[in-house]
Amino acid sequence: MEIKETAVAGTLESSDIQIMISKATDGIQIDLQSDVEKQFGDQIRQVITKTLNDLDITAAKVKAVDKGALDCVIKARTIAAAQRASQTTDQPAWEVL
Amino acid sequence: MAENEERLRRTMMFVPGNNPAMVKDAGIYGADSIMFDLEDSVSLSEKDAARVLVYEALQTQDYGNAELVVRVNGQDTEFYANDVKAMVKAGIDVIRLPKAESADMVKQLETDILAAEKEFGREEGSTHLMAAIESAKGVLNAPQIAAASDRMIGIALSAEDYTTDMKTHRYPDGAELEFARNMVLHAARAAGVAAFDTVFTNMDDTEGFYRETEYIHQLGFDGKSLVNPRQIEMVNKVYEPTEKEVLNAKNVINAIEEARLKGSGVISMNGQMVDRPVVLRAQRVMRLAKASNLVDEEGNYIEK
Amino acid sequence: MDNQIVDLYLSNPKVKRDWEDFLTSLKITNFSANEVDQIDYTIGIYSGDDLVATGSVAGNVLKYIGVCNKGVTTGSRFNAIVSELVNRQFANHIYHLFVFTKLNYSDSFQHIGFSELAHSDEAAFLETGSPDVNDFLTDIPRVDDQSDKQVAGIVMNANPFTRGHRYLVEQAASQNDLVYVFVVNTDASLFTTEERFQLVKDGTVDLDNVIVVNGGDYMVSYATFPAYFLASPDQAVTYQTTLDARIFRNVIAPALNITTRYVGSEPLSRTTSIYNDVLTRELPPAVEVKVIDRDQTLTSDHQVITATQVRQFIKKGETSSLTAFVPETTAQFIQNHLTTLQKRIQEGMNIDGN
Repeated sequence: MEIKETAVAGTLESSDIQIMISKATDGIQIDLQSDVEKQFGDQIRQVITKTLNDLDITAAKVKAVDKGALDCVIKARTIAAAQRASQTTDQPAWEVL
Repeated sequence: MAENEERLRRTMMFVPGNNPAMVKDAGIYGADSIMFDLEDSVSLSEKDAARVLVYEALQTQDYGNAELVVRVNGQDTEFYANDVKAMVKAGIDVIRLPKAESADMVKQLETDILAAEKEFGREEGSTHLMAAIESAKGVLNAPQIAAASDRMIGIALSAEDYTTDMKTHRYPDGAELEFARNMVLHAARAAGVAAFDTVFTNMDDTEGFYRETEYIHQLGFDGKSLVNPRQIEMVNKVYEPTEKEVLNAKNVINAIEEARLKGSGVISMNGQMVDRPVVLRAQRVMRLAKASNLVDEEGNYIEK
Repeated sequence: MDNQIVDLYLSNPKVKRDWEDFLTSLKITNFSANEVDQIDYTIGIYSGDDLVATGSVAGNVLKYIGVCNKGVTTGSRFNAIVSELVNRQFANHIYHLFVFTKLNYSDSFQHIGFSELAHSDEAAFLETGSPDVNDFLTDIPRVDDQSDKQVAGIVMNANPFTRGHRYLVEQAASQNDLVYVFVVNTDASLFTTEERFQLVKDGTVDLDNVIVVNGGDYMVSYATFPAYFLASPDQAVTYQTTLDARIFRNVIAPALNITTRYVGSEPLSRTTSIYNDVLTRELPPAVEVKVIDRDQTLTSDHQVITATQVRQFIKKGETSSLTAFVPETTAQFIQNHLTTLQKRIQEGMNIDGN
């Protein structure tokens, strides 16, 4: 999946996570802000990275603002942001869902 | 009719599909059915995100014994096809079609569900469906809609759109819904599926909510659609059987058991033959009594 | 549903009155036309018939955020409002947003992903989204061993680039290894940002150690700072210039190893003179301020060179007077585009400002 433009999914409300994905030249860089950064920061980054890798995205700049999201929410928001960034929202990535 | 074994459907709680906090907690309130909404509660720009969110939640969250329903976007929208595919793939129990106006619309949904079941390797026929009646046309076609598919589990009246279509709005006494309620209910009963009443949105009017719930309980609706978890307990209270009803039902159940032990094909009680509707009602009362914690494991009434 | 967001149409007098009453109850009381007219849209949350939260957007700036937390979890309405505004802007492909707010709300914004660029005693300036200030800094060209070099910075509007500007740049270039000239990014001037940027570039092309940079969103033209939440105009000017100076001192200068900022003395403009005073107060000791005397750049008949005067010449079509005031490159551009520029003035472009 190719990132064509910056895109965002998710909100700043409780139990959600806002994920912004933009183009990058190499690697996945994640700038994460979370109240539970210390306890769950690594896990949140891992869910985002794995989801992006599953979507065949190997380079991206990610800004994430976590408000206590469960893993399934993190995954869902990452997928939604990535599909928006690659302009493929009308063709869901069935194999990754 | 999708299921011979009728299940309780007193409460169908609406959950906005793009709200993680509500999607996450939907299972903790004890609703009989949880309806994740991808339609009216989700803004156009968030349809894609809500679909993925509900999908992922269904993969991981425990919603207990609740029947899981998703309201997809209407067949005239660009979101419908992917909504149906995603929810079939997610293994949802029931897909709810909004703005149903004809049996053909239901048949179209059935075709689309079947295609998705094949595509994603789900058991054919495992995804049930229901239809929401939201217009004059829908009300008049309710009997055909209710009977349009073997996958059908029920039909629901949705009063906001319906009253708009009827050039009126909702009133406290509900007179404007009288015909629609009776049509939907009769259509459901004739087709052997469940009937769901519409939502009641004014959370401050507890008295009005009880009045309306008692009324639709009296008419014979299986239950009511809800927008707030606080309403679940109130509906359950209205649907709670009386002690007399429970004792009577228990007698019927005992009579069935007795007949079974005797190997008799005829169930009798107090010298009268017990026919099928009586048996079904007794079984339903016992389910209600169990759900309301009025009976123990053996079905004996717990004295308060 | 809780926190149901609705659009508020301020064109409806009743809605506007409710909105003003609500904000006034939160001590936001400035509804002057120059603040309110910039609003693109406004949203709100009602509890029953009462407005309990609101927020607005003007371009890439969030404004008039006000929330009542009575009876709900603190922060939930605030998060709902800001979330909705941010998401709507993102959906409109505006991915980089700012907020100017009272200092005590800075934490609330930081809590939902905003980064503070600078604050003063009463106000804070924050951003969110992408590209952010780090991206801005990353994209600025560097030279080898920049950390060992003597580096200076100049911020100018250059509307247009004059001999006065040129003299300022020359002075800085002769005294430093490297000079960054930041051209203010605002299209409220007679010359567009693109034109001004190009004129500065063309007018300094012979100076090898000068790098011209678009000031982006961080060399803020103080005219664009909203100040609706501050009581007095005086307070507003001070806060705006202070924030601007602090961003330069705390964020821009360290990243580029800038240790000196050059400014021209301002015999004719009171606001610019106040601005220079604030810079002199705020920047040292981290960044030294060097004021270059304008008197050194008088024309042969002893007039002070100002861009304001150049714009008057353009208005009157006195192109023959230009050469004493602007470099050849700027004069040429004006000659070639005189009718376009005069048309902009006729269409109401204010040419009396800075």
